[in-house]
Amino acid sequence: MRRKLENMAGQDDLEQMIAGCKAGNGEAFEQLLDIYAKRCYGYFYRLTGNKAISDDLLSELFVRLVVKIGSFKDGSFESWLFKVASNIFYDYLRGKQRQKKLLEGRKAQFESAAVETGQSHDERLDELQRQLEKLDADTRELIILRFYSQLSFRELAKMRSEPIGTTLSKLHRGLEKLRKLME
Amino acid sequence: MDTKDDKNFKALENIHEYEGILSQYPAPEPGEELIADIKVKIAKALQHKSVFRRRVYKMAAVAAAVIMVAAISLLFEKGGGEPEKVIYASIIPAAIWESTDLAADDAELATLTAEIEETEHQILSVQFDQGNGNGDKALVELEAELIEINSDFWKG
Repeated sequence: MRRKLENMAGQDDLEQMIAGCKAGNGEAFEQLLDIYAKRCYGYFYRLTGNKAISDDLLSELFVRLVVKIGSFKDGSFESWLFKVASNIFYDYLRGKQRQKKLLEGRKAQFESAAVETGQSHDERLDELQRQLEKLDADTRELIILRFYSQLSFRELAKMRSEPIGTTLSKLHRGLEKLRKLME
Repeated sequence: MDTKDDKNFKALENIHEYEGILSQYPAPEPGEELIADIKVKIAKALQHKSVFRRRVYKMAAVAAAVIMVAAISLLFEKGGGEPEKVIYASIIPAAIWESTDLAADDAELATLTAEIEETEHQILSVQFDQGNGNGDKALVELEAELIEINSDFWKG
């Protein structure tokens, strides 16, 4: 069974919070930030492997929510939230200069990791990051999205506009490969 | 041999199991400074949104006022019949102009016009008959009659 990353607000509380956000209530946005910041940050960090970029993307996400919250009508808020987060990540990737910076950063990270020998706890975190990098981009994003958004397989499939069988199959193969890489 | 459902169930079990790897290596968490910074950014964005909304409402109010003024101006322009009424009132008797009984007014105007034409005709006849001796007296009578008719006309 998957571990819950943090205590989730009840559905009623969440609906009240969203209504508050739509009404322009700053406190409601702050509550939303307190609940989802860790998961969204983890999602960005696992996709970029860079804290500074993750900081920027998390800021961008919550500022964009202020503008976009009115467009959330009904359904799963988490699905909507991570869709916005995913769009922000791809917007970031599309920026050519920033993409270049990301690739250079990754290269330097791999080079420095290659010369290190012993592994501390923090370096073991990097180990997961390094192995995730070995997966193809789509599978990597799917695994990270599933873990941090905690969406159901059905919601994931809907979000990715693909049959649920395809999503399940990709996820299963990707995680199996990751497990072997981590051994 | 496993059925399709069994395979799917096993795949789901594997997924849950493999996802444990990610739990073992938690990602870094956002710093308190970052969270505080984002809260400031949210407040600014909300303020900006509010100012923007107020501007939009203000512009909409101004636009509505302009449209109202334009509409009222157009109404006044369409009501331009009023000055015409004043202009014609100086030519046509007010009683006829303001009356709604068109048939009666037409008959009255026709009578007046006929009387004027007849009087003019008589004047011309008198002028031609000046040599008959009583022309001056007849002319004076006719002029008096014409003045009377004209007076009646303007009184309505």
